[in-house]
Amino acid sequence: MIDSTSILAYASQLSVAPGDEIAFHIGSERVRETETSIVRVRCGDPDENGPGLKLIEMPSAIDGRTPIEPQPIHNGSYGTVEDTLVLPSLRSFTFGCYVYPTLIGSTIDQTVVSRWNGRDDAGWRLDIDTEGFAVLTVGHAGHLSQIRSPVPLLNREWIFLAVVVDQTSGAGLLEGSSLARDGGRDRRFSVSAVIPTSGGASPDTPLVFAARWSGFSAPQKLTSHHFNGKIDRPRLYQGTLEHAATLALVENLTPPATDPRLIAAWDFSQNIPSDEFVDLSANNLRGKVHELPARGSTGANWTGQIGSWTEAPSQYGAIHFHEDDLEDARWQQTCSMRIPENWRPGFYALRMRGEHDGRKIESFASFFVRPKRGRRTADVLVIAPTATYLAYANTHVRLDQSHFEVMADSLLIVSQDDVFLSAHREFGHSTYDTHLDGSGISYSSASRPILNMRPRANTFNYVNDTHLLDWLEENEFAYDVVTDEDMHRDGARLLRDYRVVITMSHPEYYSKEMFDALEAYQNHGGRHMYLGGNGFYWRIAFHPTKPGIIELRRGVTGLRSWEAEAGEGNLACTGEPSGLWRSNGRAPQRLVGVGFSAQVFDFSTFYRRLPDGLESDTAFVFEGVGADEPIGNFGLRLGGAAGLEIDRADHTLGSAPNIRILATADRTGAGGIPTPEELPVLYRGFTGEESSVARADMVLFSTAEGGAVFSVGSIAWCCALSHNQYENNVSQITRNVLRRFLSDAPL
Amino acid sequence: MIGTDPKTAHYPIDAERRDLIEEFRRSPKGPYSSELQKIVHRMRWSGEGGRFALMPVVPGKTWMLMLLPARRGDPIVPQPDQIFTSLEDAEWAVFKLRWKAITEHAIPEDLDTTP
Ligand SMILES: [Fe+2]
Repeated sequence: MIDSTSILAYASQLSVAPGDEIAFHIGSERVRETETSIVRVRCGDPDENGPGLKLIEMPSAIDGRTPIEPQPIHNGSYGTVEDTLVLPSLRSFTFGCYVYPTLIGSTIDQTVVSRWNGRDDAGWRLDIDTEGFAVLTVGHAGHLSQIRSPVPLLNREWIFLAVVVDQTSGAGLLEGSSLARDGGRDRRFSVSAVIPTSGGASPDTPLVFAARWSGFSAPQKLTSHHFNGKIDRPRLYQGTLEHAATLALVENLTPPATDPRLIAAWDFSQNIPSDEFVDLSANNLRGKVHELPARGSTGANWTGQIGSWTEAPSQYGAIHFHEDDLEDARWQQTCSMRIPENWRPGFYALRMRGEHDGRKIESFASFFVRPKRGRRTADVLVIAPTATYLAYANTHVRLDQSHFEVMADSLLIVSQDDVFLSAHREFGHSTYDTHLDGSGISYSSASRPILNMRPRANTFNYVNDTHLLDWLEENEFAYDVVTDEDMHRDGARLLRDYRVVITMSHPEYYSKEMFDALEAYQNHGGRHMYLGGNGFYWRIAFHPTKPGIIELRRGVTGLRSWEAEAGEGNLACTGEPSGLWRSNGRAPQRLVGVGFSAQVFDFSTFYRRLPDGLESDTAFVFEGVGADEPIGNFGLRLGGAAGLEIDRADHTLGSAPNIRILATADRTGAGGIPTPEELPVLYRGFTGEESSVARADMVLFSTAEGGAVFSVGSIAWCCALSHNQYENNVSQITRNVLRRFLSDAPL
Repeated sequence: MIGTDPKTAHYPIDAERRDLIEEFRRSPKGPYSSELQKIVHRMRWSGEGGRFALMPVVPGKTWMLMLLPARRGDPIVPQPDQIFTSLEDAEWAVFKLRWKAITEHAIPEDLDTTP
């Protein structure tokens, strides 16, 4: 087997045009040199039962040998306040905030707040230890004094914590009071002890929320002992305050800024979409968060009367930090090149080769070449679903969740990429995964190696999509490529001049901008072929200021591996609602005629013609296909063209009044299981064995100004195209529709 | 919080049902009779006897059995003495392990062959 993980890399941006500069960040724990080159991807699936791996060498300035080195990744979000004036001189102070721990019982101590320098081992910090007890530590080099709460804190329960550090008198105090006091939740405590009167962190040590300062500089890890949980309304006061006075200071949303003893009153509820947080005191000790913690999180004062931070930001003054958050791997750049002017738009990848332990290494890092702005090179535009690739990036769900074997009714096939990712959690997770504390992962970033978005990857999304590219090349249809993020940022004008837009096997994650662009295109005479399943399903946003990052909050319906916490269904980066597009009033049926109905992961099936597909005005779709022929009773994904995830038409969900339901695949068997939002009530007999709710519909409808949409509603479709040397009815139908859509003939 | 719990799988398996063992041995990839389907669901859902997976050694030709960890982040453990040249053989091997783990009875010797 070829070694696909000993060298890994990512591109500086996913989408580039001819003439653009692109850089690559390559890392390896095992080898010190690699042979680099660029390939254009026609088929990324090495399966010998299909077209096989088809990578076209693209000679470029990057060809050759490149020295490489290990590149670390540092996970964990935190907040910092840089200050060399006020904080270092504080010898007597009171700190208070609400805390909501979410990983009591972690294997390491978790620091809630600190002004601690790991290099000097000096300063003060408030931790939650491995048994869940709150611990205040004050001291310097070997002279540490610790105060530990007499009771452990509770997971997922708010507690107000206050510390008093008085280095002038040598008095330390640690206090807590639980917000809820019923049912054994009352954890009130107050403990005092003597603390050292000398020492402290060096002046350049920042105050850090949710971690400790290591004292090192990049590329070493800047922080350690990350906290998992929420911090709400932290306050810092000069001198010693009584417990009630500190609590009052925290409860007060607008503490008196002119109080000269108020050192800082941090307000995380302002500037939620940004990395900045403000200080309401006269000192203006503003700070910054790092590695994308979850902002817009409900605070201890959230009433449950409102559902979004945009409606009442003051109830969203909490930030949920996670030790496994990751915004950017921050690897050093290894090499760079300019995209040659004559490169056609398409899927491309940096190929890295080498050898380790007698095994050949071949690894890839993907990028996409789009046409220069306003310089269309073909009549067909393929949208590379990079939002979906990001949503799935480095997914661990098949490993970490246990239902996949029974879902597929067959043993899981894992790859060496899975084995690698299972052990190397630092590469970050997908939006399907949960954080170590069980909360959902709402961000995904392209600034890290993504193992399942490249040739030879596990067969879903990227690899499946390349089967469509292979088919377009085989049939000599010229095409341009743009990414989801291009469409998000440039909008409908990016699509408007194309005769046909094709969306691929599983365009599941859509931002409002993307949805609008596609709908505007369709209604302006554009013709859209949706050759996938479970598309246009979740509402995401690309981060407004950080390229290559998406944010998602899964709602309380949909086929969801986690749910956003109550009140946290809106995106932090834009304030928009997230969740299903169906819950946002735009079910996929409205856009493409069909919407998600079911998963079928045991056996794929075939379509049969319906009356709409036997009429003269739809005959062009089936030219060369017999009226009774099963359509797609073959294919590389579980033996059929209708499978994995499938979509159905529904007028009540927005399928157009003029829609033609040409064919249906409604015999999905016991493995055809409807998605939760298709089951308003519970009843027996809902699987595909006994019900046609779990079905794929093949549809055609006209939109406006000559525009039209053709949808197949199945992820497995594209992987049936190459069957029998591309001579089959799935290929024939796709070709018939694409030719007609490209022509001037009205629809 | 929302989640799935494999420990909830509880369909009873009768160790005396030689017919079901024979049925699985004949067609390890299914389709199964409805009684066998429920037993297979229990095995694949609960993972009793081990959460197993396969890793291709030669793509499409040979596979190695892998044991997935019970706890997230622990390593996936290869089982290099368990190499299969067909997916059916692999399913049969795992079925036998789980049958024994759940019923506390090994598959009867006369059935413990690859057909
Ligand atoms: Fe999906």
